[in-house]
Amino acid sequence: MSINSRWLRVESDTRKLLMKWLVALLVPVAIFTFLWSGEAIENNVFLGIVAPATSLYTSSAVFYAAIFIVIFYATVIALAGYLVAADSDRRNPIEVWIDLLFYVVLPMLYIIVTSNLLIGLSLSAITWGIYFFARKRVRDLLHYNPPALLEEVQVLDEQQKANMMNRARAGGFWFATAFAVISLIVDVIFFLSGSLPSVLLIWVIVRTILLPVAGYFLGQLGGSVALKRVITQNENGNGNGEKSEQRGFGWRRNVAQVSKKQQLEHLSKSRAREEAKDFVPNDLPLQSKGASRFYLTLLGLVVLFYPVIDPILFGSGTKGRITSYGDLGYYVILALGLNIVVGFAGLLDLGYVAFFVIGTYAWALVGSTQFTVLTGIVTNPQFVSWLFWPMIIIAALIAAAWGVLLGAPTLRLRGDYLAIVTLGFGEIIPAFFLNLDKYTGGINGISGIYRPATPCIQPFFCVDWNGFDPTPYYYLILVLIFLCIFANVRLRDSRLGRAWVAIREDEIAASSSGINLVNTKLFAFAAGAFFSGVAGIYHAAKLGTIAPTDFNSNDSFIFLAMVVIGGLGSIPGVIVGAVVVYAINLLILAQLDTFAADPTNFLHVFPQYIPNFTFSNIRNLLFGIILISIMIFRPEGLIPSARRRRELHRAPDAELIEVGALDEPPGSAAFEAEVPVE
Amino acid sequence: MELFLSLLVVGLATGAIYALIALGYTMVYGIIELINFAHSDIFMIGTFVTITLEGLFGITSDSPPKSITSDLILRLVLIGIGAFLVCALLGVIIERIAYKPLRNAPRLAPLISAIGVSLILQDVGKLWKGSTDVSFPNLPTPSIRVGAINIDSVNIFVIVIAVLLMVGLQFLITRTRIGRAMRAVAQDRDAAALMGVDVDRIITFTFFIGAGLAGAAGCIYGLKFPNTVFNIGFQLGLIAFTAAVLGGIGNIVGAMVGGLVVGLITSLISLLPDTVLPHGGNAWNNAIIFAILILILVFRPSGLLGQQAPEKV
Repeated sequence: MSINSRWLRVESDTRKLLMKWLVALLVPVAIFTFLWSGEAIENNVFLGIVAPATSLYTSSAVFYAAIFIVIFYATVIALAGYLVAADSDRRNPIEVWIDLLFYVVLPMLYIIVTSNLLIGLSLSAITWGIYFFARKRVRDLLHYNPPALLEEVQVLDEQQKANMMNRARAGGFWFATAFAVISLIVDVIFFLSGSLPSVLLIWVIVRTILLPVAGYFLGQLGGSVALKRVITQNENGNGNGEKSEQRGFGWRRNVAQVSKKQQLEHLSKSRAREEAKDFVPNDLPLQSKGASRFYLTLLGLVVLFYPVIDPILFGSGTKGRITSYGDLGYYVILALGLNIVVGFAGLLDLGYVAFFVIGTYAWALVGSTQFTVLTGIVTNPQFVSWLFWPMIIIAALIAAAWGVLLGAPTLRLRGDYLAIVTLGFGEIIPAFFLNLDKYTGGINGISGIYRPATPCIQPFFCVDWNGFDPTPYYYLILVLIFLCIFANVRLRDSRLGRAWVAIREDEIAASSSGINLVNTKLFAFAAGAFFSGVAGIYHAAKLGTIAPTDFNSNDSFIFLAMVVIGGLGSIPGVIVGAVVVYAINLLILAQLDTFAADPTNFLHVFPQYIPNFTFSNIRNLLFGIILISIMIFRPEGLIPSARRRRELHRAPDAELIEVGALDEPPGSAAFEAEVPVE
Repeated sequence: MELFLSLLVVGLATGAIYALIALGYTMVYGIIELINFAHSDIFMIGTFVTITLEGLFGITSDSPPKSITSDLILRLVLIGIGAFLVCALLGVIIERIAYKPLRNAPRLAPLISAIGVSLILQDVGKLWKGSTDVSFPNLPTPSIRVGAINIDSVNIFVIVIAVLLMVGLQFLITRTRIGRAMRAVAQDRDAAALMGVDVDRIITFTFFIGAGLAGAAGCIYGLKFPNTVFNIGFQLGLIAFTAAVLGGIGNIVGAMVGGLVVGLITSLISLLPDTVLPHGGNAWNNAIIFAILILILVFRPSGLLGQQAPEKV
C-alpha cells in the first residue's frame, strides 16, 4: 500500500465527514486524556515497565492497566473509523457536536469537578432530562425539524463498499494522527516545563510513531464493522443461493437465502423504519447498533478494570468507593428485577423490599451460628461458606416462592389490588422477622454471617473474602449483574416476555389471544422476586450482619423510583435509574447537608428558616416530585425502551398510512403501494 | 366480659374513624378506578391541621380545657370543619396537579403518580411537625356508666359524629343532583358525559368530599388518640383500604360496614395473649389485618356488600 493510496487522499465529501467526527471525538478523548487521568494511567503503565520504583502501579496492576489503556484507545480509534464510514452526511455537524457535548463531555466534566463517579453520573442524568426538554423547546421555537431519517435502505455495490472502507481507514488514520500530534505537543510542553520525567520521552516517541500506523488498521476494523451492516448488491440479487450454500452451515443457509432487504420488506412499516436506521450508511451513526458495540466495549473495559484505574482517576479512597459501588450493584439487580414486574408486565409491586429481606435472611439463617440455634445442628463455618454459591439460587428460589404465594391470590384480581397487597407485604415481612425473635434474633438481627469461599491455590489465585478488601465483592456483584442482565434480556425477548408486554398493554386483548393471564403474571412476579433474592443474599454476605430495622418499607418506593426514572421496561434505563437514585439517596443529599450545615454556604438558608429541615429529610419529597413529573412529562423515562419510544412518540403520519391501508385488501397491488416498506 | 364490652365500644369508635378514611378510598375508586395512595397521607395532614387549629383556638397541651362546655364543643366543631375544608382543598389541588393530566394515560401512570404524592405529603408532614410523635392536647373525657361498664364519653362522641357524617354522605349520594351525577360517572363516564354531566367537575367534587372526610377523620382521631406522626398514614391507610375491600370497594355503605368490622377486629386482637403469638396480639396487628385482606381477596374479592361486577372494558 503506497502512501498515495485513496484512503489518504480523501475526497471533499469525506473531508467534511472527517472534520465532523474528528472534532466530535477528539474533544472528549482529549478531556479524558489530558484534563483527567488518561495520560497519567498511560505514563504510569510505561513507568511500571521501565522504572517500577517511580510508578504508582504495582507489577500486577501494570499488566491490567496496560490491557485497559491499549484496548481503550484502540476502541476509540476504531470507533472513529466506523463513524466516518457509517455516516450518510445528512446531519449538521453542529447538531452532532452539541449532542456529544451533553452526552459525553459534560458527564466527564461533572465527574472531574465533583471527583465522584456516581454524583457526576447522576448529575448528568438530570442534565440529560433538562436537555431533552430544552432541545424540544428550542426546536419548536425555531420551527426546526431534524431531517427525516433515511427511510430507504441503500443497496451498496462493490465500488461503494470499497469507498466506505477507504473512508473508514481515513477516519482511523487521521483521528489517530491528530491525537498523536496533540499528545506530542502536550508532552513537549510538559517536558519543557520540567514536569515530565525524561525517561517518558521514549514512550512519547514510540507513541507518536505507533498511533498513525495503528490508526490505519483500527480504521479498517471500524470499517469492517460498518460493512457488516450494509445491504450489498449480490445479497439482494437472485443469485445469492449458491453463495450461501458454499458456506455450508445448514441452518444458516435458510437465513441467508432471504436477504436482509427481503426480511425488511416483511416487517411492519414502523418496524422496518426502526431497523433501517441501523443500516449503514445512516443518519445517526452515533446511535446505531454498530456504534453501540464500541460503547459496550468501552463500558465493559471501564467497569472490568475499574479497581485498577480508580486510584489514578480519583486518587486515594479507592476502597471506600469500590465498597459503595458494590452496594450500588445490588440496587442495580433490584432495579432489573423490579423492571420485570413493573416495566415488562405492568404490575405495580410496592413491597419489593420484602423479597429482598427474604433473600438476606435466607443466607443469614443458614450461613451463621443462628442455624445451630434453629436446628441444633452444629455446622462448620469453613464448609458452610462454600454453600454460599448454591444458596444464591436457593435463596432466590425461596424469594420467588414467596412471590408466587403472595401473587396467587391477588393476581386473579385487577392489578390495583396487587399494589396495595404488596404494599402491606413489604410492611409485614420486616415486622415478621422482628417479632419472631426466637428464630431471627429479633431487633438485634443476625451478625457474624459467613462470607463466601473460593478455592485457594496459594501463590496464583487466592481471594480474600473477609470484607476488608472490597474488590472480590465488586467482581462478584459484577458477575451477578451480568447474569441478571443476560437473563433479563433473554426473558424480554422470549415468548414469555412478549406475553408480559401484551398483558401490560391490554389484558383483555392478551387473554383473547390465548395468553393465560394468571400464570403469566405469576411468572413475572416470581421472576422479579427471584432477582430480589439474589440481591438479598449478596447483601447479607457482604455486610456480614443484618437487622430488621435496616429495611424500611419506604425502600420499595425508592426501588420503584429507580425503574420509573430510568424508563419502564428499558434495561439500560433502569441501570441508569439505579445509579441516579443511589447517588441522590446516599451521596448527593448527604453532601448537600454538609454544605447546608456550614453557615457561610448559601444553602444554609434552608435549615435556618425551615424547622426540621435537612436535605436527607426531604428525600421522599424529591422522589415524589420526580415520580409525578416523569409520569406527566416523560412517561418513557430517561432512556426509553425501543418499544415504548415507538408507542409514545408515534410519527403522526404513521397512523394515517395504516388507516388508509385498510381500504385495500392485503396482498393486492394497491395494498403494497400504500404500505411500502422502503 | 366487661373488658370485652368496653373493647367493643372502643372498637366501634376506632372503626368509625377507619370507615371515614375508607370512604375516601372507595369513592375515588368507584369513580376513576384509582387507588389513591395519597389518601391516607391526606388524613395525616388532617391530624396535623387539627393540632395547629386547636392551637389557634386556644386548646394546647400546655393549657388543656378543664371541662366540657358548650363553648369547647363549638370550637371543636369549627376545628373539624376547618380540617375538613383544608384537606378537601388539598385533595382538589392534588387531583388537579397529579391525576388530571394522566386521566387517559396507561393504568400504571396515575398509580405511580399517586405514590409520588404520598411521598411528598409524608415529607411535608415531616418538615411541618418533625419526625417524632406529635401529641394532641388532652381533652377532658368524663366516663359514662352504662350497665356494668364505664365508657369514655369520647367514644360515644366519635361514633355519633362519624355516623352523622356518613349519613350526610349517604344523603348526598342518593338524594341530591350531584350525588346522582357521581353515581352516573361511576357507572359509565362516557355515557354520563353524553347526558350532560360535567365529568371533570364531578371527579373534582369526589376528591373534595373524599379528602374532606379524611380531614374530618383526622380531627376525630385527635379526640380519641393521644398522638400522631408523619407516617401514620401508612398503617391507617392499609387498615382503611382493607376495610374498603372488606365492604366491597366502590361501595359506600360497604366501606362504612367494613370500617366498623375492621375496627372491632383490631381492638379484639389486643386480647390475644403472648402465648398465642409472641409479643402479644398488638405486635401482629398489621399482619393480621393484612391476612384478612388476603383472605377476602381469595374468597370473596367483591367484599361483603359488593356485587361481582364484570370488569369494565
